[in-house]
Amino acid sequence: MIHLLRVPIIRREEPAPGHVELWLQSPELATSTPGQFADVVTEGMLRRPISFSRIDRANHQVAMLLQVVGDGTRWLAAQRPGTMLDVMGPLGNGFLPPAPARDWCLVGGGVGIPPLYAAVQAWGTHTASRPTVILGARDQQLLLLVDEFQALGCVVEITTDNGTRGRRGTVEAPLCDWLDSHPDGQVYACGPTPMLASVARLTQGRTGIFLALEQRMGCGIGACLACVIPGYGVSGQAGYLRVCTDGPVFRSEELIFE
Amino acid sequence: MKLSVNLPRGLVLKNPIVAASGTFGFGPEYKDLVNIGDLGGVSVKGVSPEPWPGNPPPRVWETTGGLLNSIGLQNHGVEAFCAHDLPFLRDTGTAVIVNIIGHTVEEYQRVAERLAKEPGVSALEVNISCPNIKQGGMSFGHDPDQAYLVTQAVRKGSDLPMMVKLSPNVPSPAVIAEAVQSAGADMISAINTLVGLAIDKERRRPALGGTTGGLSGPAIKPIALRVVYEVAQRVKIPIIGMGGITTASDVVEFLMAGAHAVMVGTVTFQYPRRMQEIVAQLPDELLRWGFSSVQEAVGAALPSKRGGLFDALT
Repeated sequence: MIHLLRVPIIRREEPAPGHVELWLQSPELATSTPGQFADVVTEGMLRRPISFSRIDRANHQVAMLLQVVGDGTRWLAAQRPGTMLDVMGPLGNGFLPPAPARDWCLVGGGVGIPPLYAAVQAWGTHTASRPTVILGARDQQLLLLVDEFQALGCVVEITTDNGTRGRRGTVEAPLCDWLDSHPDGQVYACGPTPMLASVARLTQGRTGIFLALEQRMGCGIGACLACVIPGYGVSGQAGYLRVCTDGPVFRSEELIFE
Repeated sequence: MKLSVNLPRGLVLKNPIVAASGTFGFGPEYKDLVNIGDLGGVSVKGVSPEPWPGNPPPRVWETTGGLLNSIGLQNHGVEAFCAHDLPFLRDTGTAVIVNIIGHTVEEYQRVAERLAKEPGVSALEVNISCPNIKQGGMSFGHDPDQAYLVTQAVRKGSDLPMMVKLSPNVPSPAVIAEAVQSAGADMISAINTLVGLAIDKERRRPALGGTTGGLSGPAIKPIALRVVYEVAQRVKIPIIGMGGITTASDVVEFLMAGAHAVMVGTVTFQYPRRMQEIVAQLPDELLRWGFSSVQEAVGAALPSKRGGLFDALT
């Protein structure tokens, strides 16, 4: 059920330069599944789609961790506790829970990391083993939620483009290692499209690989057909899929990466 | 207050607020958020004879006071529309306006003929003004002879009430309006989006996958009002006005410029219930400016209706 809501900001943190996490009080949004998102009114003509970094059903709270990239996110990042936000949600399809008997690994790049944290919060203790988390960023300062993942008992592997923390390079190398040692493992990934393309390539032939995508979005509810990406529809024919309602989480075999 | 609008060939809108094509999907998408039966009508996204894939993403880009889009008329074709979307819409109690598109005159006629057989279609909106497709679309709306031929073909294909949607990307939309009126159009809808471009500085290229896009939103309202005002003085058939409407106050401006009803689009993305709010606020807004019905406001700002001292002197 999609709601049009006015919800208060109850807490605001700055976890990394240019990043802000806002906690919202909302029983409706707290019913979200990890990977789902909400569409928030800012100053511009379009709402801003932002996924949840935390979903706390018990306390009726969610959090959104956003990166300031333009005017809309700049406005949102400047809002303080007490402000009421105009929010539509929950929207889209979230991740499916991992199979209890399978190992799972989460791969996050930059501001794609937050929805993975919500997934580990929801399911991290229900699986056979605590998940491995591979986090990548351009620089160590831009790594998000590392301590939080560790606090949940995850094995955290870090890569940075400039080598300031963890392995230098992309998430590919540690992901290859993990896939080699976990032939039946599942992967949940969110991040820049080139990263998702390599996750899809490296996991080809496996099942239960979930990728969360981002795209410029219009209506958020499937009407305007703005936020499309190439993929295979229900008929199996190649075409465009809507990130807002067919996704934002897709099975890797649904997508076509050029 | 009487909000209903009587249009040619028996088309009646319960109020003058219609969802603009391209912003309200094919019908069911907004059903959980909007009471569709409260709207005067819904003009669905463009429907073609066969499925169209649309343009490569990104397809939208925000601009100051506006929205640039390059969707490219993605749709699943008239058969799928009739099978999956139309049955939902015809039970909502709103007027169902089907926006039709084609690459050729024959394709426009084929869609019109197909929809004429289908119960539940209230009217056709002939889209000769979409700036986002390379073949057909806007090219028909830029030449009075081409516009005439498309309109004539659709008229031949269907007896449904028919409006033709005009492009603002021409020196004189009124010339096109005259051509489609003489070809048998019952109404004009105006305006479609304006061709624009945005630059993605990070990627050092045009922002939209289709390179150029169509601009909508409040930024284009003065242009839309100008077109409605000019066209209203050149044709006898009613005009459905649109372009940047976000409030009941905007609606009264379009009515006074000569529109009989309006379409509301871009604002729906931000505020899905805004059209219903406008319907609720419209009576007070009309009264505020001295009108006791929608009909009374239509064309109130046109030279023929003004008749004041200033006009007598000039």
